[in-house]
Amino acid sequence: MHETRHQFHESLRALEAQALDGLDLVIQQLDRSLESLSYQDVELAGMVVADDDRIDGRYLEVHQGILSLLARQAPVAGDLRIVAALLHVIRCVERMGDQCVNIAKLVPLSGYETPKDKDILDAIERMGRLARSQVSQAKQAFAGRNVELAQDLVRQDTEINRLNREIFRRAVEIGDNLDLREWAMFMILVARCLERVGDNTVDIAEQTVFVVTGLFREFADASNPPETAPTP
Amino acid sequence: MNTPDTTSKEQTDMSTAGGLPPERPQEAPAAASTAAVSAKAGHAVRLQDLNAFYGSQHAIKDVSIDFPPNEVTALIGPSGSGKSTVVRCINRMHEEIPGARATGSVKLDELDVYAPGVDVTAVRRLIGMVFQKPNPFPTMSIFDNVAAGLRLTGTKNKDLKDLVNRSLQAVGLWDEVKDRLNSPGIGLSGGQQQRLCIARTVAIEPEVILMDEPASALDPISTLKIEELIDELKERYTIVIVTHNMQQAARVANSTVFMLEGEVIEHDETNKIFTNPSDERTERYVTGKFG
Amino acid sequence: MSSITASSLPQISARRRVTDKVMRGSLLGGTILALIPLVLILFYLVKRGLSGWSQSGFFTSDPTGSFFGNPGGIRSAIVGSIEMVLLASVIAIPVGIGVALYLTEYGKQSWFANTVRYFVDVMTGVPSIMFGLFIYIVLVTGHVGGGFTAWKGSIALSLLMIPIVVRSAEVVLLLVPSSLREAALALGAPRWRVIGKVVLPTAAPGLVTGSLLAVARGMGETAPLLFTVTAAFGLTLNLGTLMNSLPVQIYTDIQSPRAEIVNRAWGAGLTLVLIVLLLNIIARFIASRSRRA
Repeated sequence: MHETRHQFHESLRALEAQALDGLDLVIQQLDRSLESLSYQDVELAGMVVADDDRIDGRYLEVHQGILSLLARQAPVAGDLRIVAALLHVIRCVERMGDQCVNIAKLVPLSGYETPKDKDILDAIERMGRLARSQVSQAKQAFAGRNVELAQDLVRQDTEINRLNREIFRRAVEIGDNLDLREWAMFMILVARCLERVGDNTVDIAEQTVFVVTGLFREFADASNPPETAPTP
Repeated sequence: MNTPDTTSKEQTDMSTAGGLPPERPQEAPAAASTAAVSAKAGHAVRLQDLNAFYGSQHAIKDVSIDFPPNEVTALIGPSGSGKSTVVRCINRMHEEIPGARATGSVKLDELDVYAPGVDVTAVRRLIGMVFQKPNPFPTMSIFDNVAAGLRLTGTKNKDLKDLVNRSLQAVGLWDEVKDRLNSPGIGLSGGQQQRLCIARTVAIEPEVILMDEPASALDPISTLKIEELIDELKERYTIVIVTHNMQQAARVANSTVFMLEGEVIEHDETNKIFTNPSDERTERYVTGKFG
Repeated sequence: MSSITASSLPQISARRRVTDKVMRGSLLGGTILALIPLVLILFYLVKRGLSGWSQSGFFTSDPTGSFFGNPGGIRSAIVGSIEMVLLASVIAIPVGIGVALYLTEYGKQSWFANTVRYFVDVMTGVPSIMFGLFIYIVLVTGHVGGGFTAWKGSIALSLLMIPIVVRSAEVVLLLVPSSLREAALALGAPRWRVIGKVVLPTAAPGLVTGSLLAVARGMGETAPLLFTVTAAFGLTLNLGTLMNSLPVQIYTDIQSPRAEIVNRAWGAGLTLVLIVLLLNIIARFIASRSRRA
């Protein structure tokens, strides 16, 4: 059947692309903030902070686009769910951007020639890789309306949470060296930022399931530890 | 089972209680709202395996719908989906078209209006109908138009003035016309004329009100007024509304039926139909991908 | 894109202008040509008719029928025409509207209704003399209720008027929007009440107009009366006897050798035309008033 409301559906697709491309920006920021952390690159960290404006701008654009679509096109059913989900998604994008900025801000504070703990560093590195892959997977799942992929994100997120707890435990047991202890505190903060990034990708996964099924099902997060794997 | 138009004088009992619905309690004219009248148990309409034909054309296929009492149910669907035909089968107006017939059962509470021996005109007095284009009687004044339903059915009602008064108040027209009740009905604006027709329907005190695209010929403000009126009327009546305006169905109806090519595709709470319909075809119709 | 100016439109060629003028001229000329006889008739009618009116006792006395002496006026003719047409209307209008109601409300497009419509149309074209002959053969030669009587003339006229009433009434009834019938039916009214309280009142002005036009037609028909009621002289109100009528009076008078009697014929003609004109004006007045309402 010939598709009516062609313009509207085109606009909706474009809006979705805009929102999801924000996730690419997040990945970029994530990479750079972690790089600046591992190389103590203050300049790079500064760039991350400045570039957050792009993500904020993206947020405003998508938000305005959504308002416009709601006012002018009165979307219903599946279209309405997409629009509502995009509001959540772009919020998550903005928050993840803020977390990257938080990481970048910790770089100058954590000192230059400080002693470092290898275990903690490894864990942070692993968390960083996981967070990155989660963001990428969230984008894939939403764009592809892939419920299985969305649910898999929850599994990955449990790993990030576990790493977060491990870093905390390790930092508590780090010893008496003042400089080391201070560094470890900063690493806890970094870990928390990465853990929040993971939570946001789980939010996007929930939105994916909502768009597809029309049901909103809160997946396990920090306030909701799972007893068993969530079922649709 | 073809039901010929009978002129049987017996009125079939409408409910197990039997007889005509009880007299409405008298109201002081100042107390306007319909909700002020004592609450009355609403009446359900149930269609079962309804089939309707225009000659050899099979317009409605095995349609079964429950219309819950004191609720607004909307019928939506593209042109030719049969939604108007369904509504006209409920009060047996369908068979007024030459060559048209219907089979199946339409139950008003316990009464099957298609049962043999049922008096069509008596059925129609229990079911009011509002049409797409406002059709007040041109030779009658506003007062006479509202009273027309009673005069045309030969109902003796001593207090006509009070009934007309209450009906006009119920549709929110009283203040606008109280000073010119004797002026011609067609002198009103489109929106007012439609409300006059609704007052005329309400005056015969039906149990169910059918509306076939009642606002599609009206301007947006009149449309919204009619929608508000529908919302008030459902306290007293069971309402079935056909509309091609989906936004209207979304605003006005408790539940919505989506029809396509003479069949019911989906029937659910309006909220569900417009946020998460179960059927792919419903989804495509409400999002405007066809129609 | 350059803007549109007066010079963007192509000029009207001189040839087109000439063709336009020629067309207008010839159509106007043809119209005037067609109107000339009509104007002449009216002029002549008025001139001769007024001279007939001026004769003594034109409106106040009956024709005497005497070959010599006072010819008399046409009083009995006027009264007779009115009486007979009145009776004819009393028959034709209800019957005609009744048939039209059947066709529009009940028969609709059934084969029977279509057959009736067909025959009604045929009857409007039947020459009026046939109705006269029919009644002559059925009622007059059979001596049913007397020989030549006024009421038989009325019947012949009514047969002529019925198809006219049916046709115009059907048109008017079809003009009543079906939405009004639907509204009344949906209120639970039985069909006869729908007709009586909605359809007929709404169609009333048109029905009156159509009926008046049928009456005007009936006033002027001669042939049906010739065979059924023939001629008479005296004023009478008894429909069971011979009665005078304007068309028959004109018919006999115009053949007379006496100038006053011929004049009287013209006077009667003018009277007849004026009566018909009056009925037409009333009909139009009613129609325009209902349109304005």
